[in-house]
Amino acid sequence: MATTSTTSSDFAIDVSKKGLGYNKPQQMGRKLWAPMWVMSIMAFPIALILGIVRSNAIASGEAETTIAALGHTTTGIMFIGFTAVFAAISFAIARILGEFRKGGGEIQELVSSEVRTLKMPPTAKIFILGMAMAMMTLLIASIIHLVVAGQVSSGSLSLADAETAAINLEAVRRLGVSVYLVAITFGLATIIKVLRFQAIRVRELAQVST
Amino acid sequence: MTYAADAKLRPAAGTDYKEASPWRTRGIALALAGLVVATIAFFGNLVAAGQSGVDQASNLAWTFGVTTTGFALVKTAIAVVLWGIILKLWLRADSIKTTLPQLVGTPGADPTPLGDLDTPFGKVAVTEKAPGPLPIHKMAKKMFRPMVAMGLMAVIVGLIVSFVAAGSAPNTAALAWMQGLQFLGEGMLLSGIAFLLGTILWAIRTAGGEVQEALGVKVYTPKMPGTAKAFVALMMLGLMVSIAQFIGYIVVAGSSDPASAFAWLGPFREVGLGLILAGIALALVTIGNVLGFQFWRIQNLIKNGDRS
Repeated sequence: MATTSTTSSDFAIDVSKKGLGYNKPQQMGRKLWAPMWVMSIMAFPIALILGIVRSNAIASGEAETTIAALGHTTTGIMFIGFTAVFAAISFAIARILGEFRKGGGEIQELVSSEVRTLKMPPTAKIFILGMAMAMMTLLIASIIHLVVAGQVSSGSLSLADAETAAINLEAVRRLGVSVYLVAITFGLATIIKVLRFQAIRVRELAQVST
Repeated sequence: MTYAADAKLRPAAGTDYKEASPWRTRGIALALAGLVVATIAFFGNLVAAGQSGVDQASNLAWTFGVTTTGFALVKTAIAVVLWGIILKLWLRADSIKTTLPQLVGTPGADPTPLGDLDTPFGKVAVTEKAPGPLPIHKMAKKMFRPMVAMGLMAVIVGLIVSFVAAGSAPNTAALAWMQGLQFLGEGMLLSGIAFLLGTILWAIRTAGGEVQEALGVKVYTPKMPGTAKAFVALMMLGLMVSIAQFIGYIVVAGSSDPASAFAWLGPFREVGLGLILAGIALALVTIGNVLGFQFWRIQNLIKNGDRS
């Protein structure tokens, strides 16, 4: 689908005298990618170790409640890891978008041009919304896994109910992962739009500077 | 220097920089298709929760296959969008190359000696000419296509096996093959995405060098940062885990009592994907840093130039 925008004013833009710098989600992305990344790197090996413990419990014929509780705990922690790593990726994408916004604004300011900044495109809004929804979905599912593990371990939940919960939560987790991946696609699609905008805008600056 | 093979990684001659990217539209459409597929499996999974015995086992088998295929479609969509980013990066670099001489005027004298230099964005190499690609860039450029293609094939074969498993439930061997194949495919797809990110880093580095060289100034190129090194290590480790889990599942497929092995293979295969994803996050962080450096470099060139 080729459109024929010929100038930067054909995009939805903000016009200002100074560069606008990072917006709120981009500031958040700059601050939060690292803690999220660290959290994921910690959660994955913990979940793997729990999986090995569960495997040994099955092989040595331990109580089924223990095995079921370990199963829920392993999955809960593993998906805290996935929630965190997807968040780190999303924040890193926001950080890239921030570099384009800040750097693009500063260069326009430097050549004494009015500063044209792309307004947040619909793809970026879907990216943020999708990421938030998916993060909450995965986080809630992970927490429920840990709660179920506690309940089955204490005997307040039957093994059959724990199994049903595992299947239901699996469905919810998978949908959460799908939404997260789609949100990331929208975030990356936003980068394409920004690149196109900047390719057009930078050529306009030559006219301004002469 | 432009290598002949690199021509395939750049937009075709005469591509209009103003045109909207068709890859962006295709990527979004494919991602939404993947979401629809995963949603169908979501409802199948909910139905399975209310079933028991063979019916439940059968439903769980096909929903696993279909969900993973949905994930694979969205990951392919991500790869398609990343390809669109590569092409648009070159068009933006062309615009900068065309415009920068007018914005800079006569470049100011640069007393910086050749060699390494500390900048707010880490160490950079200062050279007379644009440096060539790093070994990892060469590998990334060659590998992203086969990785995405092989990954998709493995997932689709796994999907077919999931239907076999659903039709012959309980079928432990088919379940083992399904899981092993599909997670190998997912690992390869994510590795393909990682290689595409490596190709983006190559494109930014090469374009940055070309722009500076064309302007007749010293070429500043960021040295490979720690985040990029960790990205490569995590991606390779994750891919190895994905291959190892596949071998593990093949071994288990012949076992009469695989429950114990399934208990650790499940988290093991997920850790493989988690490691690649952690590497992808670092690649994106590296891209952000390199872009920040390039804006800093352009600003310095404009500030020090003489436009009178």
